[in-house]
Amino acid sequence: MASKAKSRWADDEEDALREAQLKREKEEKKRLKAEKARKLEAERKTREAAAAAQQEQPPQPQPQESPNGPPPKRRRVSPEQQETHNGAPPEEPTTTNLLRFTPGTISRSRSVENYDKLNDIEEGAYGWVSRARCLSTSKIVALKRLKTDPKDRSGLPVTGLREIQILRNSSHRNIVPLLEVVVSDSTTPLEPSIFLVLEFLEHDLKSILEDMPEPFLASEVKTLMLQLCSGVAYLHDNWILHRDLKTSNLLLNNRGQLKIADFGMSRYVGDPPPKLTQLVVTLWYRAPELLLGATTYGSAIDIWSVGCIFGELLAREPLLQGRNEVDELTRIFELCGLPSEESWPSFRRLPNARGLRLPNNPTPGSTNSRIRTKFPLLTSAGVGLFNGLLALDPERRPAAREVLEHEYFRQDPKPKQEAMFPTFPSKAGQERRRKRETPNAPVRGQKAADLGAVDFSGIFAGREKEERGGGFALRMV
Amino acid sequence: MTMAHMKNPLATPDQIFHRSSLDSPPTELRDAIFFSTQCLTQAAGILLQLPQSVTAQANVLLARFWLIEPIMSHEFSDVSAATLYTVAKIGPCPCTPRDLSNVYAYLLSSSSTFLSPPGNNPPKNIPDDYYQSETSYQAFHSRILSLEHLILCSLSFDTTVSLPHPLAITYLQSMDFLYVPKEKITRRVVEYLNTALLSPQLLCLTTQPNGLAVAAIYNAAKDLGAKMPECEWWEVFDVDREDLGFLVVGMRSLEGWVGGMMGEEGVLGKKKRGGMITRKEVRDILGGDRPPQEEEEDPEVVMARRMDEKMREIEGDAA
Repeated sequence: MASKAKSRWADDEEDALREAQLKREKEEKKRLKAEKARKLEAERKTREAAAAAQQEQPPQPQPQESPNGPPPKRRRVSPEQQETHNGAPPEEPTTTNLLRFTPGTISRSRSVENYDKLNDIEEGAYGWVSRARCLSTSKIVALKRLKTDPKDRSGLPVTGLREIQILRNSSHRNIVPLLEVVVSDSTTPLEPSIFLVLEFLEHDLKSILEDMPEPFLASEVKTLMLQLCSGVAYLHDNWILHRDLKTSNLLLNNRGQLKIADFGMSRYVGDPPPKLTQLVVTLWYRAPELLLGATTYGSAIDIWSVGCIFGELLAREPLLQGRNEVDELTRIFELCGLPSEESWPSFRRLPNARGLRLPNNPTPGSTNSRIRTKFPLLTSAGVGLFNGLLALDPERRPAAREVLEHEYFRQDPKPKQEAMFPTFPSKAGQERRRKRETPNAPVRGQKAADLGAVDFSGIFAGREKEERGGGFALRMV
Repeated sequence: MTMAHMKNPLATPDQIFHRSSLDSPPTELRDAIFFSTQCLTQAAGILLQLPQSVTAQANVLLARFWLIEPIMSHEFSDVSAATLYTVAKIGPCPCTPRDLSNVYAYLLSSSSTFLSPPGNNPPKNIPDDYYQSETSYQAFHSRILSLEHLILCSLSFDTTVSLPHPLAITYLQSMDFLYVPKEKITRRVVEYLNTALLSPQLLCLTTQPNGLAVAAIYNAAKDLGAKMPECEWWEVFDVDREDLGFLVVGMRSLEGWVGGMMGEEGVLGKKKRGGMITRKEVRDILGGDRPPQEEEEDPEVVMARRMDEKMREIEGDAA
């Protein structure tokens, strides 16, 4: 082989094939000779080998996706061929089925003039959103204009570019699809207007919750949570942290389908996790490790937000409405219990934990979660899930994939079919602006709050008095 | 890994063909500009201490950009800097405009050895050559920002580049590194892949990463005399034989092509001091003593001839 290293590749292939064929014939003869002597033995071996091979070959369409450990070589041109052909010429290569991509094209952004603006929907921290109609297809879309600052000498905002990149690479039924990116016809290149063309969904969960006369049914909460967690699991599988999950970023269409939107804070991460800014996630949905100044964190911060959203879906109002970082932390400890060596062994090592004064002799139960008493209508599986999502220790929060398998979703009432969801009057579809009451996600470059010295020793002073029953509730299904 | 991380948008045959009509210099000159600019990006990436994954993505974005925008519409070195800046910014290792400006000023100065002919003595280091005044820095910075916007608009903000390198490593692992020392063959494979980025044949715009990875492994194995599986192993990685043949030759032919271009008769070899080619130089070449317009050869014919020559060469060696 080495001597032919320089020969023309095509010839070489034919040579190789011929050689391989000869070799196969030789081997075949040898095998037949030895067969009589070892017939039983060989049979047993082949049977075992076949079973092993089957185990080794999980249904994997792309061999590229098995980076760990060398998979059996020649997976497609399988070794069985050698036996079945018995020296006959190998099958025509045309029968091989190769994976073919449909490549995208390289092209310029189209102009925003291809869309007709209908009405404004909302203004967020990272851009304005309006409803628009595509002139050529009459399709209704949401146009999100990136906020750019011509005076910003670092150019286009990196958050916006990341959002575009992540949305472009993502494709999942619970992630809002990015249809294209269009630009204004402005001739001055330094004042760019960039618009993300997104699928239009009628509602965001925040507005629905505010206007609902009655809370979601348990079956509806389950469907929403399953969709949310399936989207989050997809993101985490693809090394994306959303970092701003909240009800106003969760869109819902009139067919009961939930989609995660607003990736202005999201980014790709690696393993080991890179050093990241702690200035992420809207305060009310921010995990305790972020409040305590962690700079290495992971997907567990999104799971905490999912827990806050779960509470909000059940109670129709945000779960932990802190006025500032310290107040937020107080409310977290009030709900989830004070952190202890047992519930969160590593919390003392976080930068902002040094200033915390916790009671020396905690009253019994002060480290326990109060979720059970606050949500008396929830089944114990539901409480179990809730406590898991809002575990103080990020290590103990379940992964989004695990949440999908949770007992809670298998219990009655079963998750409601999406198509059976009630419809709501759409604010976004009307000539009306959405109310914004949730605080916004933190802005890049802000200074992270230093909690300073905070005294939590008194937060459970009057707790016993608050314990009370669930009262009446008639709608449980 | 999703599909989005394994495939790239590709150039259409129409786009490749129309490159020559976009008010562009003749093919030979255009290819020389392309090669020099890609090398400049690589050199800047090294000086800025960016990972090769970032620099390589910038190479691909630049190739895509010149598919859309005429090559002569902006200074080549500015386009190189702007693509590098944009890719670095989105990725994990952003670089500051100041560093960028310093590095490019140095590489374009006569103190740098960038693309200087191999026989030349190293140039004298004259720091004043690459000192950046505040005005020139500001001007550079503004050019980069407006180019950033233009590049992104030209590419529909699609900045994702799937590089063949990780796939190649995975393939090598699955083939037990063809039973030769891991470091040796991996190094050779990566060399082929990095060289392919510089190829004016635009291999990275016409082939999906799996094809490039397989071709690089094939070439590296040939170079090292490693034993490849005796079957159509490339089909396991979804590459057909014809594409592989084309890529193998395409990757191998680059060295000879660069040699010719840097040689005495080559476009870059004629520049005595070496260094980065500029738009002004190109205009001078075109305007000054414009050589009698050659019959523009069909690019396919040229390609076929190049392949034939290469074949003969390889066969000659073997004989």
